[in-house]
Amino acid sequence: MSELVLDLAIARARFGERTALRDVRLQVRRGEIVGVTGRVGAGKTTLALAAAGLLARATRASVDGSIAHPAGGSPPASFVFENPWTQLTELGGSVEEEVAVGPENQGLAPDAIRRRVDGALARADAARFASRPPRELSGGELQRVALASGLALDAPLIVLDEPTAQLDPRAAEEFTRALRALAAQGNGIVLVEQSARVLRAAAERVLVLDEGAIVAEGDPRTILRGEAALEPARAGPVVGAPRTLEVRGLSAGYADRDVLRELSVEVPRGVITAWMGENGAGKSTLARAIMGLVPARAGRIAVSGVDITTLPVERRAPHVGLVFQDPGAQLFARTVHEEVMFGPRALSIPRDQALAGAHEALAAVGLEHDAQVNPADLTPQAQRRLAIAAAMAARPPMLILDEPTAGQDAAGRAWIARALVLQASRGAAAVITHDVEFAEHLCSQHVTFARGQVSNIRVLSA
Amino acid sequence: MTSRFDRWNPLTPLAGALLLVTAAFVAPPPWAPAAALAVALAAAWWAGVGRRTAVMAASIAIPTWALLALTNAVLAPAHATAMLGGVRYDPVAARDAIAVALRLGAAIAALTAVVAGVAPRRLTRALAARGLPSWGAYLIVASLEAAPEARARAARVLDAQRCRGFAPGGGLAGRARALVPLIGPLVAGLVVESDERALALDARGFVPVRRRTALTAIADPPAERAVRAAMWLAILALIAWGMLR
Repeated sequence: MSELVLDLAIARARFGERTALRDVRLQVRRGEIVGVTGRVGAGKTTLALAAAGLLARATRASVDGSIAHPAGGSPPASFVFENPWTQLTELGGSVEEEVAVGPENQGLAPDAIRRRVDGALARADAARFASRPPRELSGGELQRVALASGLALDAPLIVLDEPTAQLDPRAAEEFTRALRALAAQGNGIVLVEQSARVLRAAAERVLVLDEGAIVAEGDPRTILRGEAALEPARAGPVVGAPRTLEVRGLSAGYADRDVLRELSVEVPRGVITAWMGENGAGKSTLARAIMGLVPARAGRIAVSGVDITTLPVERRAPHVGLVFQDPGAQLFARTVHEEVMFGPRALSIPRDQALAGAHEALAAVGLEHDAQVNPADLTPQAQRRLAIAAAMAARPPMLILDEPTAGQDAAGRAWIARALVLQASRGAAAVITHDVEFAEHLCSQHVTFARGQVSNIRVLSA
Repeated sequence: MTSRFDRWNPLTPLAGALLLVTAAFVAPPPWAPAAALAVALAAAWWAGVGRRTAVMAASIAIPTWALLALTNAVLAPAHATAMLGGVRYDPVAARDAIAVALRLGAAIAALTAVVAGVAPRRLTRALAARGLPSWGAYLIVASLEAAPEARARAARVLDAQRCRGFAPGGGLAGRARALVPLIGPLVAGLVVESDERALALDARGFVPVRRRTALTAIADPPAERAVRAAMWLAILALIAWGMLR
């Protein structure tokens, strides 16, 4: 039997009064990939931090139990965060320098650092943007950098917290292959993941957590046979329906480079469309250009027949709602209700209409009973749903969501699906996503982007 | 952004700045500090960061100068014997205020030119090669990058709120009210980010007292080392001269 890289036995881990883990035992050996799954708030990230030896050191948790890394190593475990921005130390000005931070901290000689960096970038498929500043990368590209940064430490145990959340399907597949290769080289791996597909492809053993305790353990192909079905399913496009969004010949980009080149795309009324494509294809830039956050150099953008191409951002808000990947950039109010009312108030929508819109939006995302809760007290997944409700409350005809299902469990995805169906009933919606199952189930139009242009459009029947 | 200072080892402009600061404070005013100020600004312009240096330095120096003028020259009625633009002032105190203002101005301009023209990460790598421990490197980068990071986050917050129909501006009261949806996410984000940064550093094997190595060594040709040695000697000589004078 191969050597143990993790021997964890936690009777109880607490954050203040809240128990995050109880009676958890986890052993990982070299060459083994152990999956950890469960619904939001089940304790997955806490267990991952504990496995990496970071829980008591870097958070205010009190841990009653033992966490041993019998294979040693300095450090004994590397950790890849769910949010790749968290992985950045800012000590490196380029991707290559950022990945080098770990080996530099280990005090390695420059040629050893170079070998580690090149190897880690290659294994994470991030070598092609080695010289770019990390802050300029897309979420998916940054996720690969985060993985490379973890791999560069060359620790016997690798702990990954939802590492495929922002990867496109091809990248996610390559990623699982890379994980299996790492395990074959003798690494032990703990993989926290919501996607049953990824777990079935990568892990030999999976733990299911609920309320901080292990409720099931075994072969993922047996335990994770079926994921909860999304309700409701997609609405079919209506023949001859008017266009809610119409983008014609749009060229847009940043100071030093064009990202979108004469791009044309449309979304008919009543349709939920999926905007898909590899990381860096221009999907998020398109959303920002529609909203006016990236200046259009050429082309026309219209919503429900109204030309918004030259309108300032705030005057596009009655026409389009956009929810970013990071909801933390917008939440500020003392209560969920106030947060959702902010948009309608800013747009001077009459109070009774605003209240109705806010109530409807909160109900659609499953937060109507949390109206008096402080948004800061919600889980990050609920905060994302709140951001969606906040964008919907003003009832814009077009809604664009950027990676809304990242990190969501089955219940969260179902709430987001419900909100999108509501939106489609009064306009249209576009979802930038790598979540193929979500798109297949919900979106009747799939638009694939490549290098700033539309490369394929697929229309699905109801 | 790159500057001509990036062609050199970062310690060279730093040594140059420290030499100008020493000269400004040790050599007799007003001409020596005035010359140091002029040299600092000229060097910043030559390096391609003149405008940025001037704006940053002015934002620090001008309020300081105004305060000096008020406290030394104008608010000294017992000796206020001269008039300028209808304001009575003390000419002796004014001369002292000008001397202090020039010294401070030279120091601010010289150090600001280094901040504007030298990439913080190159500077910390160069200092790490001289034995600076990890905590020092991180402190320098975090301090110098704090303002640009906060500015970038503020832009993201503003974008998110404008997407919800928020229009900044509209008179003083409107601007004051508008601060709430901007400052809340900004401060919360910076607090969360600092916690996350600590976790990220821990996860990457960061040990505060350990000396870090570097992927790429910062070039330090013999000619530059000689120039720097001469500048350190000049600094010591100026200090000695100032003490013995």
